[in-house]
Amino acid sequence: MTDIALFISVILSAGSLAWGYAQAGWETSAGWILFIGAVWLISIWQEWRWFSSVALLASVLCSAFGLVLGFEFSWLLAGSLFALCAWDLTDFRRRLRLSAKDEDSYGLERRHLARLSLLTLAGLLLVSLALYTQVQFTFEWGVFLVAVTLIGLTQVTGWFRKQDR
Amino acid sequence: MRRSLLLSTLIYGLLLGGLIALRGEFIALALPFALYLFYGFYSAPQTLNISIERKLSHERAAPDAEVTMTLIIQNHGDALEELYLEDQLAEKITARPNSTRRLIRLPKNSSYAWSYTLFAPRGTYNFDAISAEARDPFGLMRRSASFSAPAQLFIFPDLRRLKTAAIHPRKTRVYAGQIAARAGGSGTEFFGVREYQPGDSPRAVNWRASARHAEALYANEFQQDRVADVGVVLDARDLTNLFQGKHSIFEHSVTAAAALSDVLLAQGNRVGLLVYGSYLSWTLPGYGKIQREKIMRGLAKAATGSSSVFAGLEHLSSRMFPPQSQIILVSPLAHSDLDAIIQLRAKGYQILTLSPNPIQFELGYLPNSPEIQLAARIIRLERDLLIKRLERAGVQVIEWDVSQKFDQAVGPLLKRSRPQGFAYRSQT
Repeated sequence: MTDIALFISVILSAGSLAWGYAQAGWETSAGWILFIGAVWLISIWQEWRWFSSVALLASVLCSAFGLVLGFEFSWLLAGSLFALCAWDLTDFRRRLRLSAKDEDSYGLERRHLARLSLLTLAGLLLVSLALYTQVQFTFEWGVFLVAVTLIGLTQVTGWFRKQDR
Repeated sequence: MRRSLLLSTLIYGLLLGGLIALRGEFIALALPFALYLFYGFYSAPQTLNISIERKLSHERAAPDAEVTMTLIIQNHGDALEELYLEDQLAEKITARPNSTRRLIRLPKNSSYAWSYTLFAPRGTYNFDAISAEARDPFGLMRRSASFSAPAQLFIFPDLRRLKTAAIHPRKTRVYAGQIAARAGGSGTEFFGVREYQPGDSPRAVNWRASARHAEALYANEFQQDRVADVGVVLDARDLTNLFQGKHSIFEHSVTAAAALSDVLLAQGNRVGLLVYGSYLSWTLPGYGKIQREKIMRGLAKAATGSSSVFAGLEHLSSRMFPPQSQIILVSPLAHSDLDAIIQLRAKGYQILTLSPNPIQFELGYLPNSPEIQLAARIIRLERDLLIKRLERAGVQVIEWDVSQKFDQAVGPLLKRSRPQGFAYRSQT
């Protein structure tokens, strides 16, 4: 069940991004995105665990780049969202292998997929709501986001320092 | 890289991108990621309130016997959606299934029993910590701890049972046993003829001797059967046990020491064990089943080693063994050991040397070339010379070809008493 969901997520992620790029006339880049998607599928088969993180980063970067160039937002959002699902499922699949034979693996899978689906749906709703309300990017919003970003960066720096120690 | 860190980096990167480009879509793109991360933080396990108990199906077992390990995990806190358990095992232990890691779901106030099978070679194994890690359902946040669940497993040597071992120490103890005491009395072995005394059984009268002497009757006297003090010395020096730096004959020596200790204790003797390796490991002499257990534990722990102090057998002090008792040396023998063994013999000990044949053993790992055959012949001559010198000094030597099973090869040789300085080689 997880394997099927994972394969579908990878295909949908790469497909959405590629379609978004192709629609804007960037066929070569779309081809490269499909190629990365294919490598991602191979990496699942070959057990290259690190590749899912690289692929997620690449998908978000492609989406951000597409946003800068003004491509269709919905395809870019779908690409990132399914990449997130695929990234999660790759790790879950690895964890699931350690589960006991007598453990209810099917139940674990079912609960995880339900949780992930609901969260994806909630994310989509939140984005739709944000787009629907079209909050204007005012100066106050900017100050708020700068503050949030700075706090976040401080946290990340602190975490790295702790790791070094 | 931690998963939560990667997600945080992506979220803040998108927020930063939104700020730079002044585009709300970037922030919208970050929203699902933020929601995912938030859910992970929200459902992260707060405490890891569990207890783990460890049970072994056997605390003592034979080499490579199946031992079932059961871990009972009890959750005293909140439900744990994903709990990873990892049991730390010694390198030599093989577990079935291969992995000793396990993912389980543990609801509130519930318990889980995790069993797996162990196989281990001879040794003493201590089990202690089990690491547990609880994670949120997305594997973002972790809470880990180590739980102590101690247990000990003894894998005893491969025990080959012998029916009897005939030894002849110069001195025996006062208790009745199975060792001929070199003193007249009631027993089974003929000792001599003496004048008939009132109270002697008429069946003991030696009619042939009495017929020759008309003035008196003569009776047969038998050797008293008593128990003896026996010191089993196991040679655990690298010098004598390791060949080509990796192949060890030591396991065969351990098998021999275990079988001899077992049969001698079964005969009622007082047996002690000395493992002579990088240090001296001494199991004090004693009788019976408890002593057997102590010796088996000592043999389970025995390992080869090297030290400049115990390189030779000269530290085999006579103070360790009762005077004129029986010493059984289990050793492949080195040429430098000759003087030390002869000195022990000179001090009045009865010495039986049981020597696993190192030449046959090493040849099994070498190619069958004329040069190697010639070298083996030379070494065999040197070894024969060493054994001859030991025989001349009154040391009984039994050579064991380790390609044969110990009980089959050496058992028949130990059944009957042999003259001092008798050497015997098990047939290949």
